Amino acid sequence: MSESFRALRSIMRARYRSGFRVLIRRNQAPKYPGSRRWGSDANSESARPLDGVRVLDLTRVLAGPFATMILGDLGAEVIKVERPGGGDDTRTWGPPFVASESVYFLSVNRNKKSIAVDLKHRRGAEVIQQLAGVCDVLMENFLPGNLPQLGLGYAELSRINPGLVYCSVSGYGQTGPQARSPGYDSIASAVSGMMHITGPEDGEPVRPGVAMTDLATGLYAHGAVMAALLHRQKTGRGSHIDCNLLSAQVSCLSHIAANYLNAGKEAKRWGTAHESIVPYQGFRTRDGHLVLAAANDRQFVTVCQVLELQDLAADPNYRTNQLRVQNRKQLLQILSQRFLQQSSADWLRRFQGSGVPVGPINSIQEVFSEPQVKHNGLIQEMEHPTAGRITVPGPAVRFSSFPPSGPTPPPLIGQHTIQVLRDTLSYSDDVIKELLESRAVAQNEVF
Amino acid sequence: MSESFRALRSIMRARYRSGFRVLIRRNQAPKYPGSRRWGSDANSESARPLDGVRVLDLTRVLAGPFATMILGDLGAEVIKVERPGGGDDTRTWGPPFVASESVYFLSVNRNKKSIAVDLKHRRGAEVIQQLAGYGQTGPQARSPGYDSIASAVSGMMHITGPEDGEPVRPGVAMTDLATGLYAHGAVMAALLHRQKTGRGSHIDCNLLSAQVSCLSHIAANYLNAGKEAKRWGTAHESIVPYQGFRTRDGHLVLAAANDRQFVTVCQVLELQDLAADPNYRTNQLRVQNRKQLLQILSQRFLQQSSADWLRRFQGSGVPVGPINSIQEVFSEPQVKHNGLIQEMEHPTAGRITVPGPAVRFSSFPPSGPTPPPLIGQHTIQVLRDTLSYSDDVIKELLESRAVAQNEVF
Repeated sequence: MSESFRALRSIMRARYRSGFRVLIRRNQAPKYPGSRRWGSDANSESARPLDGVRVLDLTRVLAGPFATMILGDLGAEVIKVERPGGGDDTRTWGPPFVASESVYFLSVNRNKKSIAVDLKHRRGAEVIQQLAGVCDVLMENFLPGNLPQLGLGYAELSRINPGLVYCSVSGYGQTGPQARSPGYDSIASAVSGMMHITGPEDGEPVRPGVAMTDLATGLYAHGAVMAALLHRQKTGRGSHIDCNLLSAQVSCLSHIAANYLNAGKEAKRWGTAHESIVPYQGFRTRDGHLVLAAANDRQFVTVCQVLELQDLAADPNYRTNQLRVQNRKQLLQILSQRFLQQSSADWLRRFQGSGVPVGPINSIQEVFSEPQVKHNGLIQEMEHPTAGRITVPGPAVRFSSFPPSGPTPPPLIGQHTIQVLRDTLSYSDDVIKELLESRAVAQNEVF
Repeated sequence: MSESFRALRSIMRARYRSGFRVLIRRNQAPKYPGSRRWGSDANSESARPLDGVRVLDLTRVLAGPFATMILGDLGAEVIKVERPGGGDDTRTWGPPFVASESVYFLSVNRNKKSIAVDLKHRRGAEVIQQLAGYGQTGPQARSPGYDSIASAVSGMMHITGPEDGEPVRPGVAMTDLATGLYAHGAVMAALLHRQKTGRGSHIDCNLLSAQVSCLSHIAANYLNAGKEAKRWGTAHESIVPYQGFRTRDGHLVLAAANDRQFVTVCQVLELQDLAADPNYRTNQLRVQNRKQLLQILSQRFLQQSSADWLRRFQGSGVPVGPINSIQEVFSEPQVKHNGLIQEMEHPTAGRITVPGPAVRFSSFPPSGPTPPPLIGQHTIQVLRDTLSYSDDVIKELLESRAVAQNEVF
């Protein structure tokens, strides 16, 4: 073990023995080439909830990067560790590309710095150990057991930094019969029951069109990290967090799962429809689709009025939701035929102000034409050093206590290696040169 | 405005002027009839991350209750405010019911107390203002029944469904749930922030934003390259083979993400010629020639049962899994190992079971949850213990119907 590492470790131990908490750093406002940090100055240190929190991000692809992106939105400094050469696999996922940048990568990697470090190189692993010593959070999505082999597991790193919040994201969990199975959204979606319940009523199962299992896991993880930070403020100690795709999706089955667990009731596919509420589903119109949600009898009567099917409102077979569910086939046939007769725009206009929830099944282009989507700041533009102007879906949540600030663009691979070694770990130029020459680390040449 | 309310308000103002922070209370371990609190005693106050945090929950249906349920799993005290009479709409959503309890309600309302308060009654509104006046977080109510609409408007339905078929909804309300997940994190971010600033925050979470943000690369493809999305069934647009296949007796999903894994697939399927076929040598070629390749693979998979195929793929390094029914999900050993089958005793329904918390922490063990409450089960207790109301005042409030207490419990 290197001398500087031993020195660092004894410093960290001394700090924690005296109860010193390194969580909130108020003196860090690093600047790095080619980007403006938040557009705010170093004095507004409390500007965002996670200002002063440093995250060491060893995750790749979607679930983990999505979580760390949100932590970055909330003000954390995120240091993304990538394998020299290719880096995060998603950098090659395309088309589409913007210049040389994969759109997939751009969509979930804003607000991060990139350092290129070879974890399998002894000195590369040491760099990570030292960074873990000065970070608040580490997030990783390696196969359980792989990082400990490199000396980078929770047991090893929490000895160096007992306050470290170490969040593991995996396919199935850190322990258990499937712990060593790699995690893929598609597989987890199947194994967890999500696919079984998604698809046309008399058709085959399908996947949600975007990897919701991955994303739900990332969302659980971002909250869990903050819960652990809150906990650490009371206990002084960190935590090993186990987030996995299987558990995230099974927990999200909520009432579908509870129906089986309590009443033995298996689930089936319903297309756009709802098992227990009619009419509550999509309908084809003359030129597209819309979705209607008439959740009670009053709303059903309104639907009949808007559709100009007054007899239907008075029909005893459809008077209550329970009756409508019982006689759903006939009712839905009548409604389907009526909806086919006008365009979506016509129907949406007619339903406006009626009190019945209704909406178009929007294509992606239509989504980003919705005024509310623009109003909510969901079209986030920024300048990327090589790709130029890029656009990504913006943060979902707004806080009154701080304004949304300009994001920093997704980094080039190894864009910040030297800067982090120098500024965060205080390495000398000589040491940095050695590390680069040994290929334990790499710096992006372009930037 | 009542005198007690004015008094309370000036106390709160004085506290915040002096920077006093009321967030963490270390002396509260209320006991209430019929339940054990966590199975731990009042001294293990730091046992969970949100111990001492009190949440005033005005939400109903799914997104909000899901979020506050997770906060409760993390140790927060959650006070669920319900309309006297029916309460949360989902209490009537069924069948199925367990005794009189709707399974839907039970599935997302553990770890909460219920107080029945009429918000439209002047004195009911005052009660809520006083509870909120303790500086607690309070998710606001949201209209029910919008997941479906939000799923449509946000593009989620457009991209979900069979390749040559109609759009469908994810089989559970993922838009609602994603919103709840964003909300639970946002609340904790705001709590962290408040510890620095002393001030709270109004947080805006909504279904539309949550789902649009979750479109991630699908959205970015459009925003940067003008590329519209389409439906792909179980398949992946840019990776082949990466999708579901029918077997003799069910379905499984395969994810061969690179050339090496594709060769392994051919070996397991005993289609050696396929591995050598120049038309399918790289992923790019497999994507180009997907129709023919998928036809060959589909026919081969039909020839054996799911169990056979899963056995053959074991240890191959190729990710593969069955499309499980819900019954099959809860027979998976890993699901049991992860503690996802959570049982508890409910005061009237008896033994109930819900999907357990998704996340484990090494710093505290999962503890026994408290069961979903009956409506207004804790009204008197909260007025008395949290707001320190006298018995006379409580009696008045009950008689005025501003609040209601559950008679059974």
